[in-house]
Amino acid sequence: MLAISYKVLRALFQQREMRLVALSVCAVVVSALTSQADEGVAPDFAKAGVPFLKTYCLDCHGPAEPEADLSLAEFTTADSLITKRKSWDAVLRMLSGGVMPPADAKQPSPDEVAAFQELVDAIFERHDRTAPPDPGRVTMRRLNRNEYNNTIRDLVGVDFEPAEDFPSDDIGHGFDNIGDVLTLPPVLMERYLAAAEGIVERAILPNPPTPPRRQISTRYCEPAGQGVPEAKFRPISTKTDGTPIETGPLFTRYQIPEGEYVFRTKVFAEAAEGQSVKLAVLACTSSADDRSVSDELAATIAGKAVESCRPFVLIDTIEVTARNEKEAQTIEVQIPRIAGFNRIAVGIVKPSDEGVEHKLRIEYLALDGPKDTRPDSHHRLLASRPDASPEEKSREVLARFAMRAYRRPVTDAEVERLVALARSVEEGGAKWEEAMQFAMQAVLVSPKFLFRVELDENPTGKDVRPLNDFQLASRLSYFLWSSMPDDELFELARKGELRPALSQQVRRMLQDPRADTLVENFALQWLQVKRLETFAPDPEKFSYYNSRLQRAMLEETRLFFAAVMREDRSVLDLLAGDFTFLNQDLARHYNIADTNGNPSYGKSTREKGEPIRDRNFVRVSLPAESVRGGLLAQASILAVTSNPTRTSPVKRGKWVLEQLLGTPPPPPPPNVPELKDDGQELTGSLRQRMEQHRANPACAACHRSMDALGFALENFDPLGRWRDKDGQFTIDPTGELPGGERFAGPVELKQILLTKRVLFTRCLTEKMLTYALGRGLEYYDRPAVNRIVDSMEKNDFRFSTLVEGIVTSEPFGNRRQE
Amino acid sequence: MFGRTISRRQTLRGLGVSLSLPWLEAMGPVTGWAEDTKPGQAAPNRMALLYVPNGKNMVDWTPDVQGSEFDLKPIMKPLAPHKEKMLVLTGLAADGANSHGDGGGDHARALAAFLTGAHPRKTDGTDIRNGISVDQIAASVAGSQTRLPSLEIGCEGGSMSGNCDSGYSCVYSSTMAWKSATQPLPKEVNPKVVFERMFSSLPNAKREQRDARRKSILDFVREDSKELTGKLGANDARKLDEYFTSLRDIELRIDRAAKLPPVETPDFAAPAGVPSTYEEHLQLMCDLMVLAFQTDVTRVCSFVLANEGSNRSYSFIDVKEGHHELSHHGNNEDKKAKIAKINTFHTTQLAYLLEKLSSVQEGDGTLLDHCMVAYGSGNSDGNRHNHDDLPIIVAGGGCGTLSTGRHLKYRNGTPLSNLWVSMLNRMEVNMDRIGDSSGALPGLASS
Repeated sequence: MLAISYKVLRALFQQREMRLVALSVCAVVVSALTSQADEGVAPDFAKAGVPFLKTYCLDCHGPAEPEADLSLAEFTTADSLITKRKSWDAVLRMLSGGVMPPADAKQPSPDEVAAFQELVDAIFERHDRTAPPDPGRVTMRRLNRNEYNNTIRDLVGVDFEPAEDFPSDDIGHGFDNIGDVLTLPPVLMERYLAAAEGIVERAILPNPPTPPRRQISTRYCEPAGQGVPEAKFRPISTKTDGTPIETGPLFTRYQIPEGEYVFRTKVFAEAAEGQSVKLAVLACTSSADDRSVSDELAATIAGKAVESCRPFVLIDTIEVTARNEKEAQTIEVQIPRIAGFNRIAVGIVKPSDEGVEHKLRIEYLALDGPKDTRPDSHHRLLASRPDASPEEKSREVLARFAMRAYRRPVTDAEVERLVALARSVEEGGAKWEEAMQFAMQAVLVSPKFLFRVELDENPTGKDVRPLNDFQLASRLSYFLWSSMPDDELFELARKGELRPALSQQVRRMLQDPRADTLVENFALQWLQVKRLETFAPDPEKFSYYNSRLQRAMLEETRLFFAAVMREDRSVLDLLAGDFTFLNQDLARHYNIADTNGNPSYGKSTREKGEPIRDRNFVRVSLPAESVRGGLLAQASILAVTSNPTRTSPVKRGKWVLEQLLGTPPPPPPPNVPELKDDGQELTGSLRQRMEQHRANPACAACHRSMDALGFALENFDPLGRWRDKDGQFTIDPTGELPGGERFAGPVELKQILLTKRVLFTRCLTEKMLTYALGRGLEYYDRPAVNRIVDSMEKNDFRFSTLVEGIVTSEPFGNRRQE
Repeated sequence: MFGRTISRRQTLRGLGVSLSLPWLEAMGPVTGWAEDTKPGQAAPNRMALLYVPNGKNMVDWTPDVQGSEFDLKPIMKPLAPHKEKMLVLTGLAADGANSHGDGGGDHARALAAFLTGAHPRKTDGTDIRNGISVDQIAASVAGSQTRLPSLEIGCEGGSMSGNCDSGYSCVYSSTMAWKSATQPLPKEVNPKVVFERMFSSLPNAKREQRDARRKSILDFVREDSKELTGKLGANDARKLDEYFTSLRDIELRIDRAAKLPPVETPDFAAPAGVPSTYEEHLQLMCDLMVLAFQTDVTRVCSFVLANEGSNRSYSFIDVKEGHHELSHHGNNEDKKAKIAKINTFHTTQLAYLLEKLSSVQEGDGTLLDHCMVAYGSGNSDGNRHNHDDLPIIVAGGGCGTLSTGRHLKYRNGTPLSNLWVSMLNRMEVNMDRIGDSSGALPGLASS
């Protein structure tokens, strides 16, 4: 990706004396990290580079009719290289990949190639150190499926994955949020239109549905149990020695949703002539607040069941005048919205004279409501000042919606256009709510919503400008949440106070549940484990593999990464953390019995932990000698780097080089020559067969490092389960890297990777910066990457340092016009 | 209920077979294809383009004999019933898939170059560039007469992670149809969604109402976004342009739908989702393609049976290894036999499609007589990654323009895109060049 990759790769894995390797790795890293330090002597391309070109390149790439339209003759000085950076990236790629010079031409020795590459690298590195900062330019990004779903959820408040039927987003540079790659074919436009219709239909209901009605016969009311009278009108009485069933209050059995209701009941009283009998309507709530009745007030209501109704709000007391069933009166009471309201009750107000017994006979309790069943989104989206005129209301509603949808302040002209659109719909005979729906649909299919537009006043200039606070807020929220900014970010942007608050906002945002998307979208794509969903191992060999185990494998990786993120741990824990998360399926898969990481079979080294018993994941701490711990021992990763019937040390090795160390091996030469068919079948273990394979020098150079890394993981079978044998062959997990480092098995491999912590940190930084920016990295991003890696080293490799480093970096906060 | 269970699949298939054309037959000889077709006019020609990845085991593919007496090697055995309805073409090449100095990435290039004749730009995401594909050229003309200009379907979605092949963005190895050099068209893998696109679930009056509303929304958005244009740099402007092109496309589609005779939703149970097995999935997609041609929803369809480089395991035909892994067979006979087995499974699906097409009566012949079904791969031998001598079949009568039942051997290296030129001409698209073509392919009409 960056030129340094080649250099480091070469330094690490090419055949050189060990000392030299160690030195040059240090040199690269040091020079990369101390950006302004050692200026050194300017490399002399004329002296050291031109002879190489003359000898090996100019025959074909000379000044006259050069092959591939590339003349290398014009490059005579270091400065001349700088102007043609892209061409030189390609030249180096061809050279290091062994593609050029072609096989039938004179070949440079590996030493010559290395020296030439080092020279070119040095020229560019020197140039970059003094070059003015360049933040690059991000192509306007269309919301991808995840971002669309999340943004709709946060913008409208309906959560139903409207993007489910959208075509899948293409991937570039390893991620599905790359502006250049996210296209907008007609079929997607069609889905956008349909989705917008579905969204406003759910969010806003122009015609409120009729409120539900429910009625319950008092016979089925609480207090229930033996002794509830069968009578049509169930009695309750004020006698002080009665049971709860005899004395009430009566209340409904089922909980109801909060809201405004109309309560009705049919009732008559039994009392001596002239007595005033009062019925009390009580709204029972889930918890007490200042509207709940006091002890004194509660004591004015008769009945043993009063305490089981509390806390309640006393809605009203009503005089019951009817004295027999025939004249039974219907009482109707409005119940306002009360927080936590979940049951209705009726009781009797205690008579002033305690010696007198009053009785009420009640037929039913009925509730109509909630009066308004429209979703919250309806009220939130359409909220406006009550005294405003209809036109002003439209303006208020649409301005607010468009501002949040476009994630920036809207212009008056934009709002007026939307208001006019709504007006035209209303003039066609539609309701105001329908007009709002229509205008919102238009917003939802507008490019201002579908793309993350960062407008430039002067789009053709070459100037670098800082993003404005709203643009920065969007970059931040889509990076960490895959969604739009929330009110707090908008508020900071409005006040122009976002930049100084960046660190504090990053910490807040990472703790927010929405940051789960950083795990789901960044981490899982970086690690390439989403492929697990289509991985189908041989069902005969791995009959125990099923979708439950597959989900568990993925979940371990999710939880593990999330823990590093939320606990702000060192990112080196990703390589060698001494903990993980397991459920019963996965614990069995790993031969782990309890939360202290003791094995199910074999000798325990630690005291017993909690057994891992069910499908819920628990945190498991791992002993130092455990083969688990760190990403490389996770089944998800071990599986996606395997073939359906066997492991692939090559794929695993390549994965380590690419995803963890950021030193991808050059691609295999095109038209790989067929292996000589000399009639000899390759025999032996997988490892032995691969070693025979590597006897071919065309393959050996790159495969030596890939295979060695992969062999160290051979004790993990294609599904990541531990094994000592592969078929009849005992696993040999030893390996030697081209630099001479020797190791055996996954635990020692982890130790080796820890010594390459700077490479790993750099790789992770590059991947995350790519994801955050939505574009591939270029040479001019190198200083930014260096600074982040540098500050991570100084801060114990904390996760938050990485994220803060990215959001405060030159490319994240700035923009080049063209 | 009666001790017999019928799978959903059987039900679907049962219905498919008994599909009586709701209007084609009823309306007599083809008056309904397009607004301006005259009674008695011949059926329109259709173009289907099918792709299979990772090349073939070529010794089990290439017939020894040329001409009409050609022999069927094992991979083509399932096609025996359709031998007289197909052309086997050998010697064609997709030169755009060669490295031309770009190093590895033969899989990505093979699919990207297949229908375009172009050499795709090597990039992992920045500045994707290929060429316009033959189906889209056909759609730009034939598409004006149908509800959908073209249909892009497949059985594997875009890759879920990673760069897919040696520095090539996944878009290359998963996308065959390109609307322009910079606009790949993703394929739809969910049969349910394909069906819903083809046949609106709304009654006509409702649909018209909805379309009218959509049009006024699109009008509004176009006006409202004008002010963006001056404030965007070149790359952003290109994206906005893409947006407006798609917007225009939808408008045209709405206009066409208003003018064309209504498409009746056929008597075919709407698919519920992606079937659980690969074979069912493939066949359901074939059913939908037949349905699309039959009801004249579209006349152009591309179908990627599996993404290029796919490492799918075919354990249901007893090939447990991954397809891509196996294709690097190193001349191991066992592996080559397994590759042939996978190849044969795919031609069996082709045979299923041809069977379906020929079971539909249409005017003076069958639907197959009015189709050109091209089938093949942009890789020849998966082990060598060579892009010459490609395995290619063209089946169907092309409305009498193809003289089938022959094996035609061309000088090795003849551009595959010459075939596309010939097919375009048969779709009444006058084009003498596409990508790297050097002209039309001779000999398709007669020996």
